[in-house]
Amino acid sequence: MIKPRSLARPRKVNKVPFVELYAGRLQGVVSSGSDPNRVYVSYFEAQSGNFYCSTNNNRPCGGLRGSPCKHLLALLDEALLQYGAARVVAYMGLGIEPEKVKRGGDLQRAMKGGPHKVEAGMVFSRFLTYLHYVNLPPTSAPIPEMGWFVR
Amino acid sequence: MSFAELQAPPEAVVQASAALDALDDAFVTGFGRLSSGNLEALASLQRSFAATPLAAAFAEAITGIGRSEFLDRHFLVLAAARSAIQGAVHDALVAQASAALGRPTPADEAIAGGHGQAAPPQAEVLLESARQWLMELALAGFANLDVDVILPFQATLDAIEEEPRLAREAALLAGLLGELLAVFPCRGAPEIPRMRWVDLWSRAMILAAGAPATRASRAVKGELRILGADLQQHDTFATLVVYASLHEAGQAAPRLCRASVSSFKVDVVQGAELGPIFAEVGKVLLSGLAVGGRILLDGMLLQEGGDLLWDDAKAELIGKGDPLAEAAAVLGAATPAQRPTLAPADRHPALIGELVYLAEGSYTVAGKGEPALTIDGANVAVAVERWPESEGLVVSDLAGSKGLVGLLRYDGGAWSIQPLTIAKGKAAPRMLASEIAAALGKKSSSSSLSTLKERAGKLLRKKR
Repeated sequence: MIKPRSLARPRKVNKVPFVELYAGRLQGVVSSGSDPNRVYVSYFEAQSGNFYCSTNNNRPCGGLRGSPCKHLLALLDEALLQYGAARVVAYMGLGIEPEKVKRGGDLQRAMKGGPHKVEAGMVFSRFLTYLHYVNLPPTSAPIPEMGWFVR
Repeated sequence: MSFAELQAPPEAVVQASAALDALDDAFVTGFGRLSSGNLEALASLQRSFAATPLAAAFAEAITGIGRSEFLDRHFLVLAAARSAIQGAVHDALVAQASAALGRPTPADEAIAGGHGQAAPPQAEVLLESARQWLMELALAGFANLDVDVILPFQATLDAIEEEPRLAREAALLAGLLGELLAVFPCRGAPEIPRMRWVDLWSRAMILAAGAPATRASRAVKGELRILGADLQQHDTFATLVVYASLHEAGQAAPRLCRASVSSFKVDVVQGAELGPIFAEVGKVLLSGLAVGGRILLDGMLLQEGGDLLWDDAKAELIGKGDPLAEAAAVLGAATPAQRPTLAPADRHPALIGELVYLAEGSYTVAGKGEPALTIDGANVAVAVERWPESEGLVVSDLAGSKGLVGLLRYDGGAWSIQPLTIAKGKAAPRMLASEIAAALGKKSSSSSLSTLKERAGKLLRKKR
């Protein structure tokens, strides 16, 4: 049996609605701290450590000045919560000890990349793919295989 | 009832596990680079299938794989052989448990009809892609996986999830994919839960051979009395399984049955937030669970294996019940043979869940973090690893409990008990997953789900 990780605290869904490790990137969607109508799309690239943060219509985040903005740091914090330091450190290819990583800033100091623009739509479409799960209809048919998955 | 008889598994089970272990080595190494030791293990396994209907296909598969002729049907044979062994292990273990508990082995009900339907053509294409991917995993070997082998399957999986007839395959593959992605990419030697992954791989391969046959069913009328529930989930799928006794009109003895509701979900949706999702198909079932209640069924379909195909329109909550008293009555000396089973192709030791009732005073609890029960002098572990995160029932409820309903489980070569419902004397019994049901009536102002949808809406609007 594999016992999945139990989270130290619930995810702050309002602040960071979406975070994932996917296709060589740690990426996600982060709410603006000042404007409830604004949402940012943020990512870090594994290995290179390159990053970017922009609104969905590809306008760069004003906080990006050669180093990660607060949205990117919030993304790292939530990734640590969701996946655990060991998995994030391994995925990003960082040469640091996971036991010493307590918050997003510890990860950020180990990453050497700079701002590198990618299309925000790529991350956004992943968010929509993720949300498609909640639109699939429930069923009352027996699913015996779920006996393997305990939490 | 003698738990002393369950201290060790039957000898044949131990031997079968050793044979499986040798086969699993090949899955870790990868069929594209088998060692001579792996080939010997395969040949040895082939010999033990010599007198079975799988003999010819097995021989062909071994020859084919030896010639680097990699076809999904060869790997399907390996999955079938492995599942056959696990099925036999399941049967031996259920027989052992039934004997120790002093009850008849569970039996399917004889119901006429129930023929499988072929998967729709669209589904066949998806299943073929799934078989292909599973074969690629086996060729590479679990120890040598790369994200490039794992990730491209996501698109196929998304399509499988859209096909309601493939719900079992979708739930399983989503769980397996999630676990693979949790380990890879990795630095250094990956930690492989080998037996588990080969089990999941085998079952996924079998289900990808074709949608399983629909089990025969009949309509039932009578009173359902809830005994307890189990919650099973991974990041993107959750299942609530409710165990109950069914007192049918015109039948002298009750039978035991299962009812379940399942849904896809996202990782942040957990606990009470599952309530409204499950309620879409099983509101009455959830309301019953909240009060350990009694539900009147009229025309509900019951499958031969003891699974109710839940339909809220055919159910009506009568009122509160007494799960512990009911368990004492139906799980004692007269435990019926008519209780939930698995279809022959689904039998697997990890899926055994034999309902048991322990009366107040018949057991003592020792240990806190890793509690164990002492029953008639025999030690039985509590299946803490199976204990879902549920406010309805927590590990500390065990101490000072006044009786419990649980499931006898088998994992890692030993039996254990997973409590579902625990009596607390004068207070209402504590029931696993009951908080999911109890939260239904309360309107929560902000759920994770509504937040996600609202945030996605903001992104969409900006896109204009």
